Amino acid sequence: MKSASELTDFYYTELYDSLQELEQERNAVRKKVLTLFGILGALSLLIIGAIYNSCHCFNESYIWVGVGATAIGGFGFRWLISGYRSGFKEKIIRPLIEAIEKELHYAPDAAIPQSLFQFSHLFEQRIDRFRGNDLVRGTLDGVSLQFSDIHAEHRSRDSKGREHWSTIFQGLFIVADFNKHFKGRTLILPDLAENLFGSFIGGMLQSRNFTKDQLVRMDDPAFEKAFVVYGTDQIEARYILTHTMMQRLLKLKKDTGSKVYVSFNGEKIMIAIDYDKDLFEPTVFSSLLSIDQAMGYIRTLRSSIGIVEELKLNEKLWSKT
Amino acid sequence: MTALIILAVVIVIIVLMYNSLVAKKNQVDNIFAGIDAVLKKRYNLIPNLVSSVQQYMQHERGILEKVTELRSQAMKPGISDEQKIALDKQITSALGSIMVAVESYPELKANTNIMHLQRTLSEVEAQISAARRAYNQAVTDYNNAIEMIPTNILANMMNYRRKQVFEITEDERKNVDVGALFKQ
Repeated sequence: MKSASELTDFYYTELYDSLQELEQERNAVRKKVLTLFGILGALSLLIIGAIYNSCHCFNESYIWVGVGATAIGGFGFRWLISGYRSGFKEKIIRPLIEAIEKELHYAPDAAIPQSLFQFSHLFEQRIDRFRGNDLVRGTLDGVSLQFSDIHAEHRSRDSKGREHWSTIFQGLFIVADFNKHFKGRTLILPDLAENLFGSFIGGMLQSRNFTKDQLVRMDDPAFEKAFVVYGTDQIEARYILTHTMMQRLLKLKKDTGSKVYVSFNGEKIMIAIDYDKDLFEPTVFSSLLSIDQAMGYIRTLRSSIGIVEELKLNEKLWSKT
Repeated sequence: MTALIILAVVIVIIVLMYNSLVAKKNQVDNIFAGIDAVLKKRYNLIPNLVSSVQQYMQHERGILEKVTELRSQAMKPGISDEQKIALDKQITSALGSIMVAVESYPELKANTNIMHLQRTLSEVEAQISAARRAYNQAVTDYNNAIEMIPTNILANMMNYRRKQVFEITEDERKNVDVGALFKQ
């Protein structure tokens, strides 16, 4: 796989013409967006002023003006950037993925299916809205790999019947073949209980979590501090989570700097990295030519595709071929 | 009335402690059964391995005979868990020596049957290693419960005794590195 510096060179040299073109488009879009926001802001103030002059009071109509302006703003923003956004994905993200690995295919508007996301059993809350984009799939060193952005949400209602949407997971979801045979399910989740309540009370809470499989205590203190493991089979969980695999997962957590969830189910490894934002989206308010922007896209793509190499999923050392 | 409530609370605590001790003991037994299953897989591979390498390994005849003898001892019915643990340690060491010796015979290293056996054996070794780690964790939880206050009083009355763990060497903690073995 190409190094980050080789990819940065590729970004600035091979994609230079497309970047220049898109940068001009971005500037034009930015002006339109700022104009739209300005008009909406002024209109909102005018309407609020008119309402205040007519009744000299404060009521919930102001909130509705705000909500309406935000909704129109959001819709308008998406509409204004749609051409620039698809151009960016086709002219920048697709060539970058192909430069990393030719065997990978990119579908900007597709995502990992909800059924596969739920099959991981990493997030057991009811999903009421599921969206995603930027699907990359293919084979890398003989390992089948796919990943995409995912946003899964849950709907709830408060005592007044008002609807609220909460995010269950937003970030990168990666699915790959695993190089060992296993029958059961092993889940690795961020260790929230021990971090909040300490190892004694946190450990007790974890072992009494009746919604999960058996608690599997691992013999690596650093891993045990960062993650909590649940599994259907104590031996199988340790067969999957060797000391080297635990070290690799700890490194993955450190490198991404985010919450990492891992599921081993159906002979697949599924990894959810909580980025809390939509990745691979073009910037509107800062330059595409900025090194931080370029490195952000390259780093995310490289680390997602590099999972196969990083976790040594391509090592066919066992009887599984 | 107060005395009755206290008595009820004491009974509930005793029942919970009793159940927790039984659960820990059963967990140890369950995982030991898992170890038994993977050890048997390894015992089944040994005759195949020995017969595949013995015509080449004239100088290592002693170790081949030893591993066969250890296997037959381990397969005897009615041996204790402690004996199984001791035999496992010796078999692991003997198999390790055979695998190192294979590296000195180019015709063996290139033999597809041996390569397949090596892969299968490495997989079984990784499963045994995982089972030992699971067993050691279960035994540690059990030993802690029978030694710590207040469960130790009840454990003593139930005649629960400390159990032995599998010793895991530093090499094993680093996992079976089959990649390195093939590259040698």
